[in-house]
Amino acid sequence: MKTNKTKTDYDVMVVGAGVAGMETASSLGNMGYKVLLVDKKPSIGGRAILLSKVFPTLDCASCIVTPKMAASAHHPNIDVKIYTEVDGITRNADGSFSVDLHQKSAYVDIDACTGCGTCEEVCTVTVPDEYNYNLVTRRVAHIPFPQAVPKKAVIDRRGEAPCIHTCPASVKASGYISLVRAGRYKEAFNLHLENAPLVGCLARSCYAPCEEDCTRCGKEETVHIRGIKRFFSDHYYDEHPEPEYGPVENQLATKVAIVGSGPAGLSAAFYLARKGHQVTIFEAEIQPGGMLRTGIPAYRLPNEVVDRDIKNVTALGVQIKCNTRVESAAKLKEEGFDAVFVATGASDENRLGVEGEELEGVMGCMKFLRETKIGIAPNIRGKTVMVVGGGNSAMDPARSAIRMGAQRVIICYRRSQDEMPAHDWEIQGAIEEGVELMLLTTPKRFIGNNGKLEGVECLKMKLGEPDASGRRRPVIVEGSETVIPIDLAILAIGLKPSTTGFVDEMDHERGLLTSDPETLQTRDPAIFAGGDCVTNPTMIVNAIGQGRRAAFYIDRHLKGESLDVEFESLLEKTDKDVVLEESKNFRSRPPVLQPTMPLEERRRTFECYERVMSEEEARKEAHRCMNCGECSQCMECVNNCPAFCIDFNLRDAAKSFTVGSVVMSTGFEILDPGSKKALNYANFPDVVDGAQMDRLLAPTRPYNSVLRPSDGKEPENIAFVLCNGSRDHTICNPLCCRIGCMYAVKQAQLAMGALPLADVTIYYIDVRAFGKGYDEFYEQSKAMGVAFTKGKVARIEKLDNGNMEVYYEDMEGVGGMKKAEHDLVVLTVGFLPNTDAFRLYKGGELAGNEFNYVREIDPISEPGRTSVDGLFAAGAIIGARDIPDTVLHAGAAASQVSAYLETTRN
Amino acid sequence: MNTAPTAPRSMLELAQDEMIMKDRIAAVLREKHRTIPEIAEILGYPTNEITVWLFGMRRYGEVEEVGRPDVDGYFKYEWKDKKAEEAAAEEN
Ligand SMILES: Cc1cc2nc3c(=O)[nH]c(=O)nc-3n(C[C@H](O)[C@H](O)[C@H](O)COP(=O)(O)OP(=O)(O)OC[C@H]3O[C@@H](n4cnc5c(N)ncnc54)[C@H](O)[C@@H]3O)c2cc1C
Ligand code: SF4
Ligand code: SF4
Repeated sequence: MKTNKTKTDYDVMVVGAGVAGMETASSLGNMGYKVLLVDKKPSIGGRAILLSKVFPTLDCASCIVTPKMAASAHHPNIDVKIYTEVDGITRNADGSFSVDLHQKSAYVDIDACTGCGTCEEVCTVTVPDEYNYNLVTRRVAHIPFPQAVPKKAVIDRRGEAPCIHTCPASVKASGYISLVRAGRYKEAFNLHLENAPLVGCLARSCYAPCEEDCTRCGKEETVHIRGIKRFFSDHYYDEHPEPEYGPVENQLATKVAIVGSGPAGLSAAFYLARKGHQVTIFEAEIQPGGMLRTGIPAYRLPNEVVDRDIKNVTALGVQIKCNTRVESAAKLKEEGFDAVFVATGASDENRLGVEGEELEGVMGCMKFLRETKIGIAPNIRGKTVMVVGGGNSAMDPARSAIRMGAQRVIICYRRSQDEMPAHDWEIQGAIEEGVELMLLTTPKRFIGNNGKLEGVECLKMKLGEPDASGRRRPVIVEGSETVIPIDLAILAIGLKPSTTGFVDEMDHERGLLTSDPETLQTRDPAIFAGGDCVTNPTMIVNAIGQGRRAAFYIDRHLKGESLDVEFESLLEKTDKDVVLEESKNFRSRPPVLQPTMPLEERRRTFECYERVMSEEEARKEAHRCMNCGECSQCMECVNNCPAFCIDFNLRDAAKSFTVGSVVMSTGFEILDPGSKKALNYANFPDVVDGAQMDRLLAPTRPYNSVLRPSDGKEPENIAFVLCNGSRDHTICNPLCCRIGCMYAVKQAQLAMGALPLADVTIYYIDVRAFGKGYDEFYEQSKAMGVAFTKGKVARIEKLDNGNMEVYYEDMEGVGGMKKAEHDLVVLTVGFLPNTDAFRLYKGGELAGNEFNYVREIDPISEPGRTSVDGLFAAGAIIGARDIPDTVLHAGAAASQVSAYLETTRN
Repeated sequence: MNTAPTAPRSMLELAQDEMIMKDRIAAVLREKHRTIPEIAEILGYPTNEITVWLFGMRRYGEVEEVGRPDVDGYFKYEWKDKKAEEAAAEEN
């Protein structure tokens, strides 16, 4: 190793690990310099490793490039950092450079990954395969290509799917959707359990905030996420009336008490029992389930579903003690519990505070719903019912009253319909079923006879100025009193926390218990509180999220671990505009209509009115998902990886180094042949470009043979068309690509080898065979029978038989426009500069040439030197070139680097 | 007669269809070995789309070509029952 006089982290950083980068790095490494070799892709090797064979020797590209890949990867003086982006390079006064990088997360423990490819096989999301130039697909969990170095898996994630990001319990909606799309229903159910154990309840009565944020809303309408969940949860429960598991093997001695068996309590119990703690739930009601059992009407959530969901929890050994009201967490601690989670919910009813509220026939909505669900509600057949309130909790009793045979059901709300807090679909459902809305109306008093309600005196309201909530304040219209005969009035005017007793020993704000919003721990470290008794009434899924969070921190508390850790780390939400833009030309996919019970039937029964989708409908609906996050988080890779190396908590890592010098070897870009419209590359699958043809000819080709992409037929008559977008002033690219002629000759020879009966024609302007052995190579192809037609191809059209007609200007013979039929057309396309170097060098101006390639200051005597002293360029970054020229140039650049390092250090 | 060009569906859109289409292709191949145009005819999809999905399946060993191409240049493909093969391998 050379002495590192300036004490930099590395003597040189080489950016881009294609042929040029690997060659420069290896040469410098061999000279004893310490090299940092960086590439943004997940494998080194650049473009050359994807080639079939190389001209003019027809050596296999792998045989040429793989040894270089191995030499760089295993060189003691070279540190390879793949999947790493350079963020900036600046030059220091002493001639060294400061570089900022970030290593992108592959979500895989690179050291543990064995490259077995299992993750790829089980992955449920498919995308175009850029390593096969989009001729086939690959999975988002993937090993880039068979010869990749390192041969490690990478998972594409561009953000958190909006449906997951919005869900208060972070349920992996896009994950279970992609599992349903792939026909893996049991896996979908098990994935759901990881975030929320009450799958059936959520499938029927979650307010589904995910659907409101679904990217598909920007096209037709949301993916019906809850409907898909309903399908797989019903499917699973039909096949599994009992859970498939029992208590975990590793039982701990720690005892946890949970007060309340609503969604928060049940969910905390589930995740704590999974960790092995001994969990007891105390429930005041006669049956467990909290609001799920007593608050949500059966037409939205039948008790059998609640029971089956609860089995998911009790199967783990959780004890539920019903009929046991608890009002002190401290007492539970005294009884020997090591931790307590208070999850008593918010089901105590607010009062309206008007005359007559105590009359028989005036009741709170929770009482009414509870009595309805357990079958002891007052008989209201043929009666008139008024529900006071405009929230979702008003819709449930109103729609229940319709089902109970009430003759007239009125919702009385003091603002207008626009201000009603209930979901639109709930309001519409109620109206459809016959509920009347009496808007801008409020009860003044309840009128009774012999202690029994007979009517409600109401006042008209009008809307005034907006209040603190932004909604317009209702103002009484004086003298507008009217009396409406009513048999039953149900007050749905809000709920308050059920925290009697606890407020005497715990911090609270007007009855709402106070706990740390992150850890849910209260002032007493062993007591935690969460769910509606802390948040006020929200949603089932919110309470479930709180329960899982509480379990996470209670477990840590019981194990004596710090609570100063993040509960779960989500990526940023995916930018929906990006997803919508990439799919803007996709076919429309109208939603599968949610099957529902006919209206008349619905009005008469408490049976669920939403019917479950069929398997075909569920898969069709799942197919509408746009894979917003790329990886859907179905967790199939995590669950199947034999080396347990996939970790979605891994994150990008920023790194900064000082280096003695920098070599940019970021190669070139390939021009999009679609820009030459008349050639119809974008329209005809059998018009391919040179890079795709190299893949078709490579031993690791995407198909089983050399086949045409339109229908998998072996081509019989192949055309190679040279100089498309090179030497072309119409698209401002006057440069010769320098390799098109020779690789077309190479591909023509390989095609003749693979398809001995095929005719091959090369359309050329002139053939440039300038290197050692190139002319002989060209002559050899003629001798093999390749036809050379001197003619500029103007356009390509498609014939009814599926073949292409190539129109060309005849440049020899009689001239004029001619045409010829072919069944596969290969376009050799021009190259473009990779301009990354100009962006990455932030220390001043890095000079480019007139074609925007990095400019060599003196290409003849100092190859590789750029306008920035100490920053060099190697390979095709200074102009497209073939592999021999690239290797030569890289060697020259390495010598220049060495000279620079020796000068700056002496 | 020339036909007016219409752009085929993008690879990304086709990729998103693959998980659904592979089961349909598997069902058709389970009956008997078939060429891409034959599968396309039965399923009512363009041959270029079937090509994409079929080779997506082949990549993971779910289908395989049978013998040499027919006189028109088309291979026939067979469905591989991976689950059965894995189970057999485990038994041995
Ligand atoms: C269709 C086709 C056929 C060909 N056939 C032949 C042939 O038969 N024989 C022959 O000699 N040549 C052939 N070539 C040319 C050959 O591919 C090139 O000579 C060679 O790849 C150039 O090497 P390079 O290292 O300069 O660039 P590349 O191979 O392009 O490597 C550049 C590397 O830089 C990385 N990179 C880019 N930007 C950044 C960044 N900002 N940060 C970090 N890393 C970055 C890239 O990921 C890549 O790994 C062919 C080319 C094509 C397109
Ligand atoms: S979580 Fe699922 S979609 Fe994501 S990479 Fe793993 S298998 Fe593929
Ligand atoms: S399109 Fe799919 S991934 Fe995107 S938000 Fe909707 S359900 Fe989620």
